[in-house]
Amino acid sequence: MAATPALLELVSVGRRLAGRAVLHDVSFSLRRNDVLGLLGVNGAGKSTTLAIIGGVLQPDTGRVCIDGKNVDDDGHTMRDRIGWVPESVSLWPELTVAEALDACGRLRGLARGARKTAIERELARLDLTGIAQRLCGQLSLGQKRRVGLAQALLHDPDLLVLDEPGNGLDPVQAAQLRELIGKLSPRRGIVLSSHDLAEVEAMCHRVVILHDGRVHHDGALDGRRGQLDAQFRAIAAQPASAAA
Amino acid sequence: MSALSVARIDLRRLAVRPFAWTLAGIALAMMAWQFLLGVSAFMHAQPTVPGPAVGPGFIDAVVAPYLLNYIQLCLVIAPLVTMQALAGERGAQRLALLTASGATATQIVLGKYLACLVFLWLLLIVVATMPLVLGGATHPDWGQFGAALVAGALCVAALTAIGIACSAFTPEPALAAAAALLIGEALSLIDAGVRLTGGDTGWLGWLALHTHLAPAMRGLMRSEDIVYFMIIVALALALAIRRIDGERGRD
Repeated sequence: MAATPALLELVSVGRRLAGRAVLHDVSFSLRRNDVLGLLGVNGAGKSTTLAIIGGVLQPDTGRVCIDGKNVDDDGHTMRDRIGWVPESVSLWPELTVAEALDACGRLRGLARGARKTAIERELARLDLTGIAQRLCGQLSLGQKRRVGLAQALLHDPDLLVLDEPGNGLDPVQAAQLRELIGKLSPRRGIVLSSHDLAEVEAMCHRVVILHDGRVHHDGALDGRRGQLDAQFRAIAAQPASAAA
Repeated sequence: MSALSVARIDLRRLAVRPFAWTLAGIALAMMAWQFLLGVSAFMHAQPTVPGPAVGPGFIDAVVAPYLLNYIQLCLVIAPLVTMQALAGERGAQRLALLTASGATATQIVLGKYLACLVFLWLLLIVVATMPLVLGGATHPDWGQFGAALVAGALCVAALTAIGIACSAFTPEPALAAAAALLIGEALSLIDAGVRLTGGDTGWLGWLALHTHLAPAMRGLMRSEDIVYFMIIVALALALAIRRIDGERGRD
């Protein structure tokens, strides 16, 4: 019997930005129901990797597959299966939360009825109902993050891509985020990036450590605290040019 | 997902943004004042003794210069309306968000263009309403008025497309506005020197906005002038699409 293809698979992905190679031969995969943490110091290539998965950037080399199908072959259909939340998400500041989510639903091509249902579902799930009529420009960082997550979930994607979701959140908000990711992971795959070891260990089933645009570690986590500490420090301590 | 969804978002934003209302208010106040001055000058120039009508009519003396003034104003307004369209969105990662939603570069650029154009065309309609109000009290040449209005609309479309292209190519909205203003003024003044000395403007004259507006203001709508404005729109939008597409593509 043929093995079920991974929900997400990156095969030898490489990418240059502004004349500099930021990703070299990056390969990893993710199964449904898994939360994968992309760990690395600043400039390791985490955001570029996630932007490529989210369809915002194209890889120069290699390919990104969803359920075994190359995303580039049918970009529009494939992108409907992905929800991407950038690091500093800022929806249109002049619109209310409800209007902004409605606009995102339109962009995703959701019909009026489906859009209304999806918005109500995500407002309730992310505890945003109370601020639905508030302008996006007046939200706190934590609220902006939740609205960003809501827009990514509107079309009920199979794969959720979160760039530094815990950045700037206070401990209470970070705990709420962990709980939320735990609730979202069944039925879908989640890839998130972070440079915070504890955050990744608390939320993820697997971890990929990137350094200087290369994968240096790809393995499962067993829920123990501090298991990656020594390994991550050793990789992060390598000078960028010698990290290969 | 279509360009209309992108346009709808931007129109909604323009509708709730004080900047757009302030800009519209200032522009309409300036145009109303210029219209009153034009009408006043026209009234003073009328012969006091009744007789056959001679000299320029209402459209020649008042409406054509008035519409040309709106186009001059658009050289400034269009860059201000379009500067945020792509340059401002890029900084806030909203451009990436649109791409991640499945919007192509063409849909994003056309949507942004459409929203800015609708705003500036709405202003043009309000501006054109002022002489229309006096239409019953005089005997305007409606054909000439229509030609002037169509040329004005095409010129505004061209200036908007230039603004969108500048917004696509620059990271800062202020820089985009300055670049669009510079290009618009250059197209407006490119043959000014030759025109003043009365020489043959040649290809410089063909590039100038004035060359393609003047016949329409006299009531002559030439296909050459329509093609000129369409070329500017197509070229500017194609460059903008190429730039936005390049941001996603390979280095």
